[in-house]
Amino acid sequence: MSKGLEIDVYPTITVLGLKTVDMRGTISLLARRHWDEGGPDVGGPSMAGIAQKLASNQKQVAISEFFEKNKHFLGFDSLSRSLITAVKEAVDNALDACEEARILPRIDVEIKKLDLKKDIIELKVEDNGPGIPQKSIEKVFGQLLFGSRFHAIRQSRGQQGIGITGVVMYSQLTTGKPTHVRSKISTESTAAVVDIGLDTRKNKAVKSNQGREIWEHKDGTMKQHGLEVTTQLKAKYQKGRQSVWQYLRMTSIVNPHAEINFIDPDGEVHHWPRVTERLPTKVESIKPHPHGIELGQLQRMLNESKDSRLSVFLRMNFSGVSNRAAKELCAAAELDVGAKPKQMKPDHIRALLEAFQGERMFNGKPVKMLNPPTNCLSPIEEMLIKKGLSKTIDSRFITTMTRVPNVSQGNPYQIEVGLIFGGDMPGDKAVEVLRFANRVPLMYQQGGCLLTKAIESVDWRQYGLDQPGAKGVPKGPAAILVHLASTNVQFTSEAKEALAENEEVIEEARKAMLEMGRGLRKHLEKKKKMAKTQEKFELINDILPAIAAKSAEILNKPIPDLSGSITKIMSAVIGETSTVWNKETKQTDIAITLYNYTTRSRAYTILATWPEKAGAKIVGNDTGGRKEAMGVWAWKLQALEPGERTIISYSLDGLEKGDWSETDIFYRGSQEVIGAMKMDEKYLEEIRNQEQIMKDMNSENKIQESEISTEPSIDSDGDLDSPEIDLDEVIASLGEPKIAPPSGQSTLFGGDL
Amino acid sequence: MVQRFTSEETKKAMHSVVKEMYDKIIGGEPPTMTLPVRTKTNIGFDKKLGVYKYGKKRSIRDATSLGSAKQLLRALYIVEFIEEMIDAGKSSTLREMYYISEAWGLGKFGSQNESNNLAEDLEIVTKCLREDFKLRPEEDGARMIGNLTLRERNRRGEWMRINARDDVGDSGYGVPYNVESEKIELLENDIDFIMAIETGGMFDRLIENGFDEEYRCGLLHLKGQPARSTRRIIKRMSEEWDLPVVVFLDGDPWSFRIFASIAYGAIKTAHISEYLATPSATYLGITADDIVAYDLPSDDLSKKDIEALNAELSDPRFADSWWQDQINMMLELGKKAEQQSLAKYGLDFVTETYLPEKLAELGLA
Repeated sequence: MSKGLEIDVYPTITVLGLKTVDMRGTISLLARRHWDEGGPDVGGPSMAGIAQKLASNQKQVAISEFFEKNKHFLGFDSLSRSLITAVKEAVDNALDACEEARILPRIDVEIKKLDLKKDIIELKVEDNGPGIPQKSIEKVFGQLLFGSRFHAIRQSRGQQGIGITGVVMYSQLTTGKPTHVRSKISTESTAAVVDIGLDTRKNKAVKSNQGREIWEHKDGTMKQHGLEVTTQLKAKYQKGRQSVWQYLRMTSIVNPHAEINFIDPDGEVHHWPRVTERLPTKVESIKPHPHGIELGQLQRMLNESKDSRLSVFLRMNFSGVSNRAAKELCAAAELDVGAKPKQMKPDHIRALLEAFQGERMFNGKPVKMLNPPTNCLSPIEEMLIKKGLSKTIDSRFITTMTRVPNVSQGNPYQIEVGLIFGGDMPGDKAVEVLRFANRVPLMYQQGGCLLTKAIESVDWRQYGLDQPGAKGVPKGPAAILVHLASTNVQFTSEAKEALAENEEVIEEARKAMLEMGRGLRKHLEKKKKMAKTQEKFELINDILPAIAAKSAEILNKPIPDLSGSITKIMSAVIGETSTVWNKETKQTDIAITLYNYTTRSRAYTILATWPEKAGAKIVGNDTGGRKEAMGVWAWKLQALEPGERTIISYSLDGLEKGDWSETDIFYRGSQEVIGAMKMDEKYLEEIRNQEQIMKDMNSENKIQESEISTEPSIDSDGDLDSPEIDLDEVIASLGEPKIAPPSGQSTLFGGDL
Repeated sequence: MVQRFTSEETKKAMHSVVKEMYDKIIGGEPPTMTLPVRTKTNIGFDKKLGVYKYGKKRSIRDATSLGSAKQLLRALYIVEFIEEMIDAGKSSTLREMYYISEAWGLGKFGSQNESNNLAEDLEIVTKCLREDFKLRPEEDGARMIGNLTLRERNRRGEWMRINARDDVGDSGYGVPYNVESEKIELLENDIDFIMAIETGGMFDRLIENGFDEEYRCGLLHLKGQPARSTRRIIKRMSEEWDLPVVVFLDGDPWSFRIFASIAYGAIKTAHISEYLATPSATYLGITADDIVAYDLPSDDLSKKDIEALNAELSDPRFADSWWQDQINMMLELGKKAEQQSLAKYGLDFVTETYLPEKLAELGLA
């Protein structure tokens, strides 16, 4: 596996003509990776080959040649993919900029066919982001691989592309036309406009038609801030699973906070509304973790270090390295804690890396380090995935799940899944697989992707989907979403369309699938049961009275009393639940009706779930009762006499339409209640336990933070070891909780976690 | 001979069904309808009548599931509908009743099959005949050719004398759905036996070859699984004219069933077997032996064919050794053959060789 060009790692590699093309960093890194892994793999050879060639010759390479040779991993290998890539770069940029500036994004994409014979297309992407100051425009649009500094490790969309510069280049190379940019920042009254082109002979970015203008919306009001990119390129517009439409649709699913409009070449307008006002949580940058570091990166970090002592360098530049760990690492690598980082020899660096990776031990054991913090991840979160899915796909049932963050090879990651079932989706085709990495849709190479493999690893037949031979992607009226959020997404090739195998991540995704599958099965079982109950009600409410009336009429006798027959027919206690969105009150109204169709009086406690974690409040609950656990309310009811019924009604406030469409009810009592599940007290206990664990974790995390911040910044080589060892153990034990924290309704039915 | 009910008797019989439901409700129970079990496990040979009849097994249809409750309600609507027809002196086809049920709200039928089955249920429970209920089938009646004469009452109420050789065209005499004495009288015949034939192709072949005249027989086209009226008229001719009946069918498991319904009584109508079945009827062919003996072109048995044959092995109507041998032989051969496969040896082979040989075995030629 290889990661190809990694923006974050090489500070300045290529600036179109403005700086010398210097790819040495790239070369050494890429080449090493392939050597390490014992040979070339998908997409690797050409890249490594080019890198070596460049390294030996030290020649400037023509941008066009570079582009032509590498278009497959730049995303411009076919006319239809080129268009998707161009849209992707522009839209990802817009989403990232809005997220950074805490603006709710609105993105307008328009595609026009300019010349049908020559496949010339005009693409326009406009956003309401912060805009780019005039002087930075050419840097952003004219600079290849313009990245942030190496230490900024966090979840970002930008890991996956060459950037908008690639679009400018492709446009220039295929049409000879510059890209038109219009940008307005809120502090200026007018927008900056400029055409950015490329002098392919001199390898220089070329600015032209620079100026300022007033930017108005179509309705004549002033545009406050935003960016508009108009470019012409040789490309083909296609429909179907690998299309701009599908890319935008998928983007909209995982960015429920964005409004996306798209005018296709036929003039048809596609609209994906914003379904939440909540922006993704701002992610924190973290320092790299020793388990996830590569030799070249370590070399460079050491080289740039201003620290005077190696132990300080280790503590200050890596996450998970405590004072104790820093000293142990030095000892394992047989290096002096006081060695000057800048002056380390290659052998020493290699030794240090081996200590990182546990190949060199301390006291016969690999040096124990803390896991990196996981607040650098920004999951979409269950409720928002639900909303994103339900706005694009009509269905009957949705279940979503966000797993707790985890760490693999020093990289924090988090898996999120969603399953949507029923509605208009075709039942005889393979389910739609929606794959995402850091909120970016993956549209190609589905079969070779880790996320697909995780789906295929589940026997879906037991959960109500078709799957011939329990192999492959299941069939049925469903769509399955899988999202991997990570600071370091590993792809199978430079095309960056399929995630590389990783046992830990597959297992994590598989667990999430199993849980969703259980949710689906429960739903289908419940539906079946409800249909049966519905039939019984039809029987006693409609058919039986009709039989009584008709038979009485034919025999010319009085209509008989039905209560005896009804009790015999039903001979059960029945619970009926309705969960309905109330447009006027903007609340979700819930009614639980309990009928006693038995010959004896019955007493029950009824329990119902509600999305407490999502902030819902129970209102208008005249029956009273009390909270039993996180998201579980209970009502102790008076004895219900034969033939009687009782209704519990209440509303949920603080939710939006579609947030909560199914309330699950449980009972405590001896006689079975049809339409409800018997409460498993052990289970309730577990929910309470998990709640406690979460609480404890939160408070201990706070302790950890404060202790770390009071740690002396200058290494005194003092005797601070003992408290730190304790802390390590505490946190190590917390790093992988034995029981996952509760996650709303899915946990209650997830069964064994 | 089955007893026929008067209008009042029919109504009374139907009311007993309604009363069963009503009384159950009064007693605080789910309403029910009690029926004989209608499968091969509940038919037995009635020595006195010489046919297969329903046994003593009863099933109770009670209103504890939505499906059965709807059946009960529909039965009530049918009872009411029949009473109205009896009172108004009208009749209707089963298909008409199915459409009329559109107006019955909750009692509406889901399919015509459902209404046909329910009408049959009522027949069985009340021991009335469909004719007593004023319900006519859609069934396609048989056609006959031969030197036999009968009288049929036409729509104007006049009796018409018809000779099934001289007064009919090539398609023969069409048997009406009601062949009871108020509609048809059998007058006279100059034939030695009746031959019932499964397919129209073979029926026409025998007519074209003049088989009916040469061998002095009445030919009857069954049109597949024979309608009640077809089976009834075979029975009447056999009894009233004292004529032997031979049955000439394809050689496959389904033909065996057709024969059983003619000779022993059909499972579905076992309540009136003594009225429809002709125990003296003989199976002429195609037999499993014939497939071998005449080296007939044949097809492989399908999975369904094999299932049907195996089911027949445990069917009491096929319990005698001749049938057991035939069925086992066909299973061993794994082959079936059509009547018309005889054409392998030419168009006249059936009338000049096959049938004369088979009839000679029975002493009819």
